[in-house]
Amino acid sequence: MSAHHHNENDFLFKYIFSTDHKMISKQFLITGFTMGFIGLVMSTLFRLQLGWPGESFEIVELLMGSWQEGGVMAPDKYLALVTMHGTIMVFFLLTAGLSGTFSNLLIPLQIGARDMASGFLNMLSYWFFFVSSVIMLISLFVEGGAASAGWTIYPPLSALPEAIPGSGAGMTLWLVSMAIFIVSSLLGSLNYIVTILNLRTKGMSMTRLPLTIWAFLITAIIGVLSFPVLLSAALLLVMDRSFGTSFYLSDIYIGGQVLDHTGGSPILFEHLFWFLGHPEVYIVLLPALGITSEIVSTMSRKPIFGYRAMIGSMMAIGFLSFIVWGHHMFLTGMNPFLGAVFTFTTLLIAIPSAVKVFNYLTTLWKGNIKFSPAMLFSVGLVSTFITGGVTGLVLGNSALDINVHDTYFVIGHFHIVMGLSAIFGMFAGVYHWFPKLFGRMMNNKLGNLHFWTTIVCAYGVFFPMHFLGLAGVPRRYYTNSEFPMFDNMVDINEFISTFAVLALFAQLVFMFNFIYSAFRGPRAPQNPWEGTTLEWTTPVEHFHGNWYGDIPEVHRWPYDYSKVDANGDYVGGKDFIPQTTPLGEGEKDGGH
Amino acid sequence: MMTIIVIVAVLLVVVTGVQLLKIAELRAKSKGENIYDVKEKDGKMQGLLLFLFLFAYMGYFAWQMCEWGPRVLPVSASEHGVGIDFLMDLTFWIITPVFILTHVVLLWFCYKYAYSSKRKAFFFSHSNKLELIWTVVPSLALTVLILMGLNNWNTIMDPIPAETDHVLIEMTGQQFTWTARYAGEDKKLGRSHVTLIEGANATGVDAKDEFSKDDKLVKGEFHLPVNVPVQFVFRSIDIIHSAYFPHFRAQMNCVPGVSTQFNFVPTKTTAEMRKITGNDEFNYVLLCNKICGAAHYNMQMDIIVESQEDYDKWLAEQKTFGE
Amino acid sequence: MTTISMENINYKEEIKQKTSKPLMWIAIMSIVMFFAGLTSAVVVSQGGGSFLDVPMPTAFTISTFVIVASSLSFHYGLISIKKGNFAMAKMSVLVTLILSFVFIASQWMGWTYLYENGVIAVGSASTSSSSFIYLITALHIAHLIGGIVSLLVVFFKLNRNKYSTEKYLGVQVSITYWHFLGGLWVYLYLFFMYIIA
Repeated sequence: MSAHHHNENDFLFKYIFSTDHKMISKQFLITGFTMGFIGLVMSTLFRLQLGWPGESFEIVELLMGSWQEGGVMAPDKYLALVTMHGTIMVFFLLTAGLSGTFSNLLIPLQIGARDMASGFLNMLSYWFFFVSSVIMLISLFVEGGAASAGWTIYPPLSALPEAIPGSGAGMTLWLVSMAIFIVSSLLGSLNYIVTILNLRTKGMSMTRLPLTIWAFLITAIIGVLSFPVLLSAALLLVMDRSFGTSFYLSDIYIGGQVLDHTGGSPILFEHLFWFLGHPEVYIVLLPALGITSEIVSTMSRKPIFGYRAMIGSMMAIGFLSFIVWGHHMFLTGMNPFLGAVFTFTTLLIAIPSAVKVFNYLTTLWKGNIKFSPAMLFSVGLVSTFITGGVTGLVLGNSALDINVHDTYFVIGHFHIVMGLSAIFGMFAGVYHWFPKLFGRMMNNKLGNLHFWTTIVCAYGVFFPMHFLGLAGVPRRYYTNSEFPMFDNMVDINEFISTFAVLALFAQLVFMFNFIYSAFRGPRAPQNPWEGTTLEWTTPVEHFHGNWYGDIPEVHRWPYDYSKVDANGDYVGGKDFIPQTTPLGEGEKDGGH
Repeated sequence: MMTIIVIVAVLLVVVTGVQLLKIAELRAKSKGENIYDVKEKDGKMQGLLLFLFLFAYMGYFAWQMCEWGPRVLPVSASEHGVGIDFLMDLTFWIITPVFILTHVVLLWFCYKYAYSSKRKAFFFSHSNKLELIWTVVPSLALTVLILMGLNNWNTIMDPIPAETDHVLIEMTGQQFTWTARYAGEDKKLGRSHVTLIEGANATGVDAKDEFSKDDKLVKGEFHLPVNVPVQFVFRSIDIIHSAYFPHFRAQMNCVPGVSTQFNFVPTKTTAEMRKITGNDEFNYVLLCNKICGAAHYNMQMDIIVESQEDYDKWLAEQKTFGE
Repeated sequence: MTTISMENINYKEEIKQKTSKPLMWIAIMSIVMFFAGLTSAVVVSQGGGSFLDVPMPTAFTISTFVIVASSLSFHYGLISIKKGNFAMAKMSVLVTLILSFVFIASQWMGWTYLYENGVIAVGSASTSSSSFIYLITALHIAHLIGGIVSLLVVFFKLNRNKYSTEKYLGVQVSITYWHFLGGLWVYLYLFFMYIIA
């Protein structure tokens, strides 16, 4: 629509309003990481309070302005931090940042297309994300502070400023920001789906697609079907807050008076929210799993084990993710029969997840593994996915959830699968595809250091939380010092907070490596990891259109690593065969 | 002053880092290598580190179990809690070996199969048999967990049989306190509604309802007779709260405009639990477990479980709503 | 170093041909989920009781006929373009536009009828049921306005002879959305009829 009316070499249209998917992917990456860093600082701040409750910290004084007194954060501002941390990390870093970066970068390159179906919509998708991020950050500075009802913003707490100050202007801006964010996400997903289905190059059948693309496709479909429901939930909340409706509100006495709302139910919000909320965590996770499949295979010099089973399990996870949302609501008083149904469907999801883990392990078996930082993080993802995944079997079982719901057990579980697995996938992707993003290489030694410090600190932060949860410590508590039964949790909290601070510093290593390498890193060769997929056949320098001349044709699946003939020699003479290489005489495709 | 020193220090570290990286790159180039190549011996070192990490991680896990394992909740103080604890233990007996074994395989493979120019990787792309095995085996384990879980869940959610003697309590949550209302001799709770909240009637009990007259409102601490079922009716007058009784393995949201319920049978008196935990000052406690505002972290009520006689004595001392 | 230029008109045209309709279809799926969320919310809120104590406004029944008619007129316009009869196409699109405004007017009349019969949208006299009926119809109109914009674009392009008997992709995309809006209204109408006492 607009691109061909403007000279693409204008600064404005080359960098700012670019419609080139590679530039847009970098925009998503930078904005995503910036928001992620802000979210990380927030978590470090509130961990200071939790580790050393009531103690004064200069850094708290420095960063939190009127939200603290003498360096001790106020309880309602603690809740604002917790809320914003969750919102920023789940949506801005791990949804837009992760999907926006890698779907945009890899889809056209790996399927053999010059760009997305609509560069214009893609550009809009990024700028809506940017605007939504700015509004979310502004909400920190309005009167009453940022939204403070948890990232799950259940009404009536989120509907009533009398209940907590953050539910005033801060909550309004949160809703505005999220509405724009949802539009951004939908625009992106539209593009990803249509591009993958319609713009593949000659020979690129669906079963020759790399698993990254399958992951991005399924993720986008989940997004298209689930984000609109969050929009409806948010819209009804806006109506209740500002237009006197009673969708979620009924029989409320607060601030000395009975409110004028009757007939609504907060549980309705929970249904609508979690209908997105649960698929959302798979929107966060699946791209990371796809990225891991790719990296593990490439760096092990082996085909990914069970390509079709990997696709099938991602589809199963995608489908099942829509029928498990009730496991967040076991204790809302809903009909126990529903609880039973959701327990059944939730525990089912463990099966495709287990299949994927075993397939990763089998891919490593008898491989010839090169441990780049990307590979280290991929191994880390498998470890954290196992660790975090198994506790899902406790939480998904309704009878067991009774005593661990909303405790630190839940926090441990979802941080290990999202805050570790998904972010490890993102880091792995950045290290691995840095040459495609910036034409340069990141430093391996710093990358290794980043991995080791991060995984040690991360397990230091999140593993102990299971014990806190099993001891009954609730989440979203400003301090545990009001309950004698939690007096023996003090050293655990200190332990966690210490590692949280260290984890923050570990990310500085990454930041330094990233920024240095983007500007001054050694120039990348065209195919540094000797991969088979199409993105490694484009020239290192970026230009809109990806390939000089015709787009290459594809003749085989993407996993011909270490393929040997009857004599035990490599087919083609090296330990990988690019997808563009035609099949040899009598050679069969697809891992046979 | 401090800020300036910190900024200068950070800048120095960054500049040093940049110079060190440049030197490393030049050194590699002078040897005819690329700094970004993963050299075989570096790769093998990482593989070794990963394998050593197995022991560190498992050791860490074991250490936590020893150090913090004993600090989890004590034995269940309710009847249904026994089933829950058993299922919880069973689940951990299943997932812990899975957790350990998969990590052993993962991290051992990383060491064993680290890159060597002398080897070739084994082109092994799929096996329907293997996929079947690791679909069926988890399914079997899950079937057990699901069946036991649903069995427990249905039992827990069953209402108290009509003829059984039980204590009936309406628990009202609000920012930031709990109020327990015992149904009196008539075994019925009077109606309550937010529109009736006024002055001392903080939870809106209907004075005109004759069932309200003998109801007893209690704050700060409430008592229960041991081995007698207690039926809770939960409500909230402002926002969502959640009544969490961790020792009794009980939890239920309190939702404004909706009434929820939960029942259990306390099986250990406070005195007994004090002996079990070795803590003379132990008390059962009700906590709020759904974010409800600034003082969410301090919305609590103590619970005393005692013999029927002691309970009756205590209850008799409480004032009725009528008074 | 030669640069491949995306200015290759043929290439861009080819992409548009391949992707415009799929993009519209996926967008439609999103909108379906949006209204599915809302109508599910109605069912959940209602909890099994009767919805509203008022008969279906006749104006809404008229709306249904009007919007179906507008789909027919737009479709006739598409056929006319394929046959090369651009004058008839312009007329059909104009009729469709007019019908869309009649639709909006009939919606307004429906709201007035509801209001006069005690079904209030907001405030203390409202219930979630009454609020929903206004909200959902208003949201349908919001999406309809998008359809009207696309109709206007088609109309102006017709006036500038931008379409030919072979090239009318924009009309196809617009008419897909238009039929969807009609179908959506029919679903909402039946839904309300089923829910209203």
